[in-house]
Amino acid sequence: MNACCDTPAFAPPVAPSAASILKTVVLIGPPNSGKSTVFNRLTGLRQKVANFPGVTVEQRMGLMAGVGRDDLTLIDLPGIYSLDPYSEDARVSINVLRGKMPGTPKPDAVLIVLDSLHLTRQLMLAAPVLALGLPTLVLLNMSDLMEARGGHIDSLKLARELGAPVAQISAVHGTGFDAIPLFLNQQTDRSSTRPFVLPIVGNAASAHSWAEQVSSRTGYRPPLSVEGTRKIDDILLHRIWGPLLFLVVVVGVFEVVFSIGQPLSDGFGDILARMGSLVRPLLPAGWIQSLILDGAWKGICSVLVFLPQILLLFLFIGILEDSGYLARAALIADRVMRTTGLNGKAFIPLLSAYACAVPAIMATRTIENRRDRLATILVTPFMTCSARLPVYMLLIAAFIPNIAFLHGFLGLRTIVMLGLYLAGFIGAMTTAWLLKSSILKSSETPFILELPQYRMPTLHSLALRLIDRARIFLRQAGTIILCVTLALWVLAHLPVIQLPGGAWTAPELADSVIGRLGHFIEPAIAPLGFNWKIGIGLLSSVLAREVMVSTMGTLYGADPATQAMHLQTALHHDMTLGGALALMIFFAFAMQCTSTMAVVRRETNSWKWPAVQFLYMLVLAWVAAFVVNHVVMAIWG
Amino acid sequence: MSVRRANKIAIAVCGSSPSSRILKYDHSGRSFRILPFRQPMGVRRVSVLSELKVGESAVLVALDLPDSVQNHLMHMGFVPNALVTALRRAPAGDPTVYFVDGMEIALRHETAEAIRVREPQIDVAPAESEYQESPELLEAAR
Repeated sequence: MNACCDTPAFAPPVAPSAASILKTVVLIGPPNSGKSTVFNRLTGLRQKVANFPGVTVEQRMGLMAGVGRDDLTLIDLPGIYSLDPYSEDARVSINVLRGKMPGTPKPDAVLIVLDSLHLTRQLMLAAPVLALGLPTLVLLNMSDLMEARGGHIDSLKLARELGAPVAQISAVHGTGFDAIPLFLNQQTDRSSTRPFVLPIVGNAASAHSWAEQVSSRTGYRPPLSVEGTRKIDDILLHRIWGPLLFLVVVVGVFEVVFSIGQPLSDGFGDILARMGSLVRPLLPAGWIQSLILDGAWKGICSVLVFLPQILLLFLFIGILEDSGYLARAALIADRVMRTTGLNGKAFIPLLSAYACAVPAIMATRTIENRRDRLATILVTPFMTCSARLPVYMLLIAAFIPNIAFLHGFLGLRTIVMLGLYLAGFIGAMTTAWLLKSSILKSSETPFILELPQYRMPTLHSLALRLIDRARIFLRQAGTIILCVTLALWVLAHLPVIQLPGGAWTAPELADSVIGRLGHFIEPAIAPLGFNWKIGIGLLSSVLAREVMVSTMGTLYGADPATQAMHLQTALHHDMTLGGALALMIFFAFAMQCTSTMAVVRRETNSWKWPAVQFLYMLVLAWVAAFVVNHVVMAIWG
Repeated sequence: MSVRRANKIAIAVCGSSPSSRILKYDHSGRSFRILPFRQPMGVRRVSVLSELKVGESAVLVALDLPDSVQNHLMHMGFVPNALVTALRRAPAGDPTVYFVDGMEIALRHETAEAIRVREPQIDVAPAESEYQESPELLEAAR
């Protein structure tokens, strides 16, 4: 559902400052060093996320407006522990640093971010980076925390040892950043940097002893480890409370998304509808007005109203991720993941698939074993991504009464929603188990997970995340959804027929091109409790799931019988409870997303796997919907 | 409670009794209490990391793992002579969280089983043995 997988050419800055010959700066650092906070500080809103061409490593680029140098491009490399070419991340990083990455300019300077709380180990990455001989500034992040906890480093001595300037910064508080423009302004002559010869590159043991020596010679004293994180973990990873709190967190998030998000979405929908009616008198009555307001605007609005709820969900995922809880969740879930034969590392891609399958599938590259990785890719689309949310919310709001349980803590609607999430999860786990015990059998690969210290998520990074998400959502609404709704409106009004009086008019919806197409596929979906209008929705939602909602908006808007009704009422008019539940289950299992298919094709390098995946999920969705429809009909029908 | 004990780095004292608990500082200034590692009666030999009980520590000897995994673990601090402490087990009993080089890292039983360790000895402080500087490395580093 996403534009995050295309690779727009990044325009290099047009007018570089005369004082400097620098154009491109690279940011590198180990995971959990606070690198992305530094990147956000340096670039602010002027950043783009794309992929390095030809590989699946995410490329973040931005102009360094945060330090007043928006003539400079900053490239953020993936968080890596070493430059040893075992992982794709590291190979890409080496190529970018050496200027051998096609389409990426050769870097003129390097900023390396190290966590000063664990400097000794982090220096192991600095060695091979410094050995490249590029002008490098070493940023010791979290130095305020280190000093507050009794740590110490002589940064002048360290600079002498490393042959590169060292600056102590705090990315969270934004202190020490003035060293960066200072460093960049000094790099006017490339030849002045002397190449730094390092004794050891490649051998982890000798790199470690080098790092130990450097840190002892520079008087590095690591801070006392804080008890806070362990005290929190005593509870969050407790044998009994741990899993219980995990469940409470998950249920709580969805309850809040519903109880707070629903009124927000309703209010937002009212505003959008009012905007439409304000514009109506300005447009000439007739087919243009109908095309713009009843076709395009209605279709887009029906999707846009879910923006507040989706942003709320992303806010919670962001808080969980930034605080460090997601790693604990992976630890708790590892036992379950392992029974399916999946690698424990698969848990993090699968969790991020709750947002969107496209970045999740790209995140599977951290799984070294090819078969494990393929299995993870194949089950990822089962996870309930945010594109399913509009469909679920529309149907739940229309068909599920709002009954409260447990003194209002838990609503029936939340229970249905959680049930759908659970259905997707079970679908994924069962499929994984089937794959891992048949065609993708392999030995287990190790699960190595670093548990970062708990941190307070910063408003700054949460806000950037939400803006990014909203941008993607709006772009989707402005492109795919706009095109589909326009096409649907046209097809719903063709072929035009001549009235006896000589005037031309649109046909009955059932007689239009789209109506005939819907009727043509109706026999295949009638057993599921869907009528031909839903069939059109299913066809159009192959592009992207949330198109379903806009299609319904356009179709019911085009049909005079339901035109005046609210979309939910119109659906009620047309569908039974069984059909509605069957439709939800269908969406839980079916793979309706061209972006995901494209990314699976790219990751597996063949059309075979996306085709297999699409058919498998389609059959599963059809069967599940059939069962649900008939069971519900037998009980309540 | 075993988890409480994990907050301190424990080092073995041969033939120790609870009375031998003293405060020590390692090379980097972190304080830890010396707790009896072996039971006062009999000897519990620990040869792989997975045998550590929660709260116990050992010194890493070698990693019997494929190169890529070994390399990855070494960059996370699992280098020979490093002191590793078992901190806690996940709620399901596996994986186990280990404390090494100031970081908490979770490993499954089968990975920890391939990491050979020895008992820490008080006369060869594990931290110091890492400081045996080889002359050629020093030379090159300059």
